[in-house]
Amino acid sequence: MTQPPDLPVGTMQDAPDGRIFDGRDSGYFDGDAPVPRSVTLMVDTAAGVLEIGLPDSVAAGVRWPLDEIRQLDDTAGQQGVILRWTGDPLARLHLADTLVLRHMPHLTRRAPPKGRGRLAAWAFAAVAAVAVQIGVLVPLLADRLATFVPPAGERALGEVTFGQIRQALAGTGLPPLPVCEGAQGLAALEKMLVSLGVERETDAAIKVFVLDHEMVNAFALPGGYVVFFRGMIDAALSPNEIAAVLAHEVGHVENRDPTRHALRSAGPIGILGLLLGDFAGGAAVLFLTEQLISANYAQGAESGADEFAYAALEDAGVSPAALGDMFDRLRAEYGDTDGIVSHFVSHPTLTSRIERSRAAAQPDRSYRDILTDEDWASLQAVCD
Amino acid sequence: MDVWFVGNRSALFWLALKSGFWTVLTLGFYRFWMKTRLRRWYWSAIRPGGHPLEYVGDPWEKLLGFFIAVVILTFYIGIVNLLLMFASFSLFQSSVLGYSASVVGVIPIWFYAQYRARRYVLARTRWRGVRFGLEKGAWGYAWRALTHWLVTICSLGLLWPRMTFYLEKYKTDRTLFGSGRLKQGGRWVMLYRAAIPFAVAMMFAGGLVVWLIWIDPLLPDGDAEFDEILNGIGLAADVGIIPFTWERPLRLFLFIPAMIAMVYGAVHYRFVSKRILADHKHAQGVQMRSRLNGLRISVIYVLGTTIAYTILLFGILGVLGVAAALLGFDAMIEAQIGTADPLGDLPQWLSIAIIAALYLSVFLFWSVLHHVFVTFPLMRHMAITLSLNNVAGLSQISQRARDEFAEAEGFAEALDLGAAI
Repeated sequence: MTQPPDLPVGTMQDAPDGRIFDGRDSGYFDGDAPVPRSVTLMVDTAAGVLEIGLPDSVAAGVRWPLDEIRQLDDTAGQQGVILRWTGDPLARLHLADTLVLRHMPHLTRRAPPKGRGRLAAWAFAAVAAVAVQIGVLVPLLADRLATFVPPAGERALGEVTFGQIRQALAGTGLPPLPVCEGAQGLAALEKMLVSLGVERETDAAIKVFVLDHEMVNAFALPGGYVVFFRGMIDAALSPNEIAAVLAHEVGHVENRDPTRHALRSAGPIGILGLLLGDFAGGAAVLFLTEQLISANYAQGAESGADEFAYAALEDAGVSPAALGDMFDRLRAEYGDTDGIVSHFVSHPTLTSRIERSRAAAQPDRSYRDILTDEDWASLQAVCD
Repeated sequence: MDVWFVGNRSALFWLALKSGFWTVLTLGFYRFWMKTRLRRWYWSAIRPGGHPLEYVGDPWEKLLGFFIAVVILTFYIGIVNLLLMFASFSLFQSSVLGYSASVVGVIPIWFYAQYRARRYVLARTRWRGVRFGLEKGAWGYAWRALTHWLVTICSLGLLWPRMTFYLEKYKTDRTLFGSGRLKQGGRWVMLYRAAIPFAVAMMFAGGLVVWLIWIDPLLPDGDAEFDEILNGIGLAADVGIIPFTWERPLRLFLFIPAMIAMVYGAVHYRFVSKRILADHKHAQGVQMRSRLNGLRISVIYVLGTTIAYTILLFGILGVLGVAAALLGFDAMIEAQIGTADPLGDLPQWLSIAIIAALYLSVFLFWSVLHHVFVTFPLMRHMAITLSLNNVAGLSQISQRARDEFAEAEGFAEALDLGAAI
């Protein structure tokens, strides 16, 4: 397919004073009617104006001051340019003969952006709105609402999540990860809960499960679910360490952290997605920021659960330092996370938590073991 | 009056590359300038009667509009999502419902934003010094779009052309060029012509399904339950055992041409319906004519995308090659299998920055290549196949007032609608 020509090139006429230019193939638009008008072009260097004559029109010509003429940016095509005059936002001169341009000194000068104050105000408002939302409003509302979620709803939510976790750890197509059912071991856990002063045998009672998996971890879910991995029990050197972790997770349940976390997760991610718009690769930044925010929320929750655990252990006559001992073991296995990385993981740095747990133990008090050796042995065998 | 298209790919390539580079460098803030500059370029390339369109949108107003949209939408998204989540936990004990409700809740705003974005772009487009415009009516558009979608879904897609027609008519009848008003003529049934290739492809695929399941079953012991088949497929994938005997399984490959035909049908419908609609648009006696070719559009799509992907792939291989040359091939392999860490000496933030830069450059190059090999030829084909008849009516048109538009296309920007230029 042949292309029609670009805006055609003109040639400079040999005017004696060199101020008359070729207006053929150029066109003037007055900014009212969409009809091109043929022009004659003359530069009056003395007055510093471009005189645009309109020979076919009843209207008189126009005079554009040379230093107020601007050229349109980012125009496709090599030939011809489009000019505008800062004094008339609508009129355009489509110019074929570019020789005139050398008389115009400020073709590319930009106008300062208009309404900078307004822009700054809205920019500030946008930043403030996002900060208030993520930092104050969403957490506050989530914390308040978490106490209104009916226990049955929370419980069902926990149950569904627990099922999903068991399935995810087992892998697709396989039966979900088994729950350990050694009766004596579970009885030992029950004793532990009683010693820690946890409410038992009511509808709202906390339910503890052990999953047969080598991961060294434990977590709490909405509705009073506390879940241990077998690896955690294997890694512990004494029942007190398990009791300490249990007390920590019970602390999460008492503070309703899992439910609050589930509620909070709804807001920020949507807001951040909005900020980044369709900017290429925004998803990665989004993920990192979300991590940072949820980690900041969670660090507060972890410290709260630790405080709860110290008190419960102290009441049970078990040294709060047991929590520190357990963390020490974790650190030996996985290493600590310090610096930048620690903001991206949900637990505060282990070192500081170990120190705080040891500080919580009273040096002059004699602590006991939470389980007998026999019970401890059956807890260790709960998955066999 | 013919529409010309000037400009070449290399100019566009450098413009897109330069502005994309700045966008990456400014963490996305330059995107308002990038969009403005690319639009200016494309608009000025399209020249009805030899006179270019002009895009007069301003990046600063886009930035302002974005801030305004953020202020309004953060509250909507944050608070509404939280409440939905709470309701979903309390009443239905699952988060799925809350998430879907919040997605559904955004849909009306999405249509609203689409219309507002169109209004903004038209208000900032001029031809021969005269402004285009779109009347207010974004909420009207949003509820009409919702209703049409509902009807379309309920009719299993049979009434899709009706939706295409009436939504386009709503927008066209509110479009103005100066004092002249555009009118969408024709009837919705005329769009069925554009849907023929898609309908044929659907029938082919449907026939294939019927053939493989009922007429000449792929699994001869046809009493197998659907669940069992699914489990069987899962098992085959996991363990590598096929628990049942296939009857001529090569017939499954027939689904490949069926899929290709469906994709072609969809592209054909999208663009040929535009052609038919354009042929029925007129203003002040000026009549639009389009000679757009559906097959050619599809070829541009397929070829353009393939070329862009290939170049991107070679680019990535090139970067890997340079890395291999710099670090030595052995080091690369060792890094892959984890016995050595060639970047281990660098501080962590630097290696993160390098990876982030590489990641963003892939997106940047993809968008640049897409502009050059897909958007450019598509725009060119659509422009040069368009013409205006009876242009005498143009002389009766005069200028219209400026449409001040504080929020620009902020909502569309924030809701990720800006995928088109």
